[in-house]
Amino acid sequence: MAPFIPQGLVNPELTLFFALVLGLGFGYVLEQAGFSSSRKLAGVFYGYDFVVLRVFFTAGITAMTGLLFFSYLGWVDMSLVYINPTFLWSAVVGGAIMGFGFIMGGFCPGTSLVGAVIGKVDAMVFVAGMFIGLFVFGHFYHTFEPLYTGSFLGSPFIYETLGLSRSLFALLMALMALFAFAITQIIEDRVNKTDPARIGKRPSYVLPAMMLAGAMLVFLFLPPEKSSGLSEPRCGEIMAAWQQGGGRVDAEKVAYDIIRGNQDVVLIDLRPQEHHLHFTLPGAVNIPPEELLSRRWRAFFRKDPRHKVFFGDGTSLAARAWTAAVRQGYEGVYYLEGGLNGLFDRLFAEKPGHAPHGSNGYMNQFSERFVREARQFFMEGGAIRAEESRPVPVRTIIEIKAPDVAGGC
Amino acid sequence: MEKQVKPYMNPYLAGFLLGMVLLASFVITGRGLGASGAAKGVLVTAVGSIAPGYAEKSAFYQDFFLPGSPVSSFLVFLALGVLIGGFFSGAMSGRLGLKVERGPRIKTPVRLWFALAGGLLFGLGAQFGRGCTSGAALSGMAVLSTGGILTMMAIFGSGYAIAYFFRKLWT
Repeated sequence: MAPFIPQGLVNPELTLFFALVLGLGFGYVLEQAGFSSSRKLAGVFYGYDFVVLRVFFTAGITAMTGLLFFSYLGWVDMSLVYINPTFLWSAVVGGAIMGFGFIMGGFCPGTSLVGAVIGKVDAMVFVAGMFIGLFVFGHFYHTFEPLYTGSFLGSPFIYETLGLSRSLFALLMALMALFAFAITQIIEDRVNKTDPARIGKRPSYVLPAMMLAGAMLVFLFLPPEKSSGLSEPRCGEIMAAWQQGGGRVDAEKVAYDIIRGNQDVVLIDLRPQEHHLHFTLPGAVNIPPEELLSRRWRAFFRKDPRHKVFFGDGTSLAARAWTAAVRQGYEGVYYLEGGLNGLFDRLFAEKPGHAPHGSNGYMNQFSERFVREARQFFMEGGAIRAEESRPVPVRTIIEIKAPDVAGGC
Repeated sequence: MEKQVKPYMNPYLAGFLLGMVLLASFVITGRGLGASGAAKGVLVTAVGSIAPGYAEKSAFYQDFFLPGSPVSSFLVFLALGVLIGGFFSGAMSGRLGLKVERGPRIKTPVRLWFALAGGLLFGLGAQFGRGCTSGAALSGMAVLSTGGILTMMAIFGSGYAIAYFFRKLWT
């Protein structure tokens, strides 16, 4: 899953190599497009050459459409992609100053590097000026700081700011670019007084048309939200689910399932194996926490349709296992609140006191009666009988899986 | 020499290729392309090495005193790549050679003074904008960031607003 470097999929020592290769491509294309010439660049402001607009918009929309596709397919996790933060006035003032720099200098930083390296003296001087500008910013940093770090709005997306859907905005953007390409071609012909006979030599519109087709595809066929099973849920979503009590199962529910021999539920014992062998809940599978996300159990979590309830001695181990499993994309996972200790405290406490969740007196009566029944059930060895009396599917899983491990998978 | 100069690439093809490089950058590194960041990295390292006493006083130079600054070294290698790639392209197309490009109505010294001033302003503005035309405007547009698109609109907006007053430089 991309992006590769933030995901740790690329050896960090190769990071700089990739930087160099990306830079090679960047520099090559800039120079080939004519961005090493200040006169061509400045033409966009005077109408005699709109190459900047054509290259810039085509590049932006190509990358935008590509990123949209990749994030829909779950290939790129946009939560790991750097989104430029918005410091409102700093962005506007900075842009305005850069506009002056562009008109006066005829370059921008990237293009000046390309111009300088092929021998444009004006580009070299521009680069020198850039260093002076940076130094000035550093020297007066204290003065600039309130503007520079003020009016921070987070890292919003433009479509959120405008209240549009992402794909609709992308489509509008592509349409706008095509419109601009057509208009600027007319302006350019007028300004340069192009001979109508030579108009056939203009660049073809095949690529812009492809670009629009790509944006149309995004708009028409892709769902508004990413729908890939490959993508991980966001941390924020897990946090929110956890705060709303998602995944939490209380002792009574688990006791009920055990007593009724509920086949839709499988209990997962996270405690060390010797504890598990000494005592466990009926039908429980023992998965040590370190093996939870291993390949050995992947098919079990992904394919087995039963609800899976983690439990440990207390709550915390099971809750952590639940978080990891949800983050891994496993569905139908829960954790037993209070763990084994909580379960037995609830069933065998001297004074069967409070019901765990705020409920009225009538419900309490039910709850207490159930606890009494459950206590009796466990005391009389009902749990043991339950395990012996029926073929426990969980056992089969362990028995089938064990040779796999021995085979060294 | 002049006879061998090859024409520039179809701008839409160039834009498409540039978009692909940008997309590759997002897929591999998780961020877009940038050029002004490298200059800052070089300046911060240079000032920090030559005058550490001066650099210590400003938060602007704090990166120099942090152990390993991966972002700036990444950007510096990116800029090195830009230089090599640009040189390679210029050499292949017969565009190498010392030259000052200027509008027909101004002399070389004027052009160079304005280039210096323009570079100065761009360097300053790129700090406020948190990136230049590549890092803020182009990469910001690709990820549809409000800040990036604002900066882009401000660059071209102010450019068009003042173009008339500087027309003698270019036309």
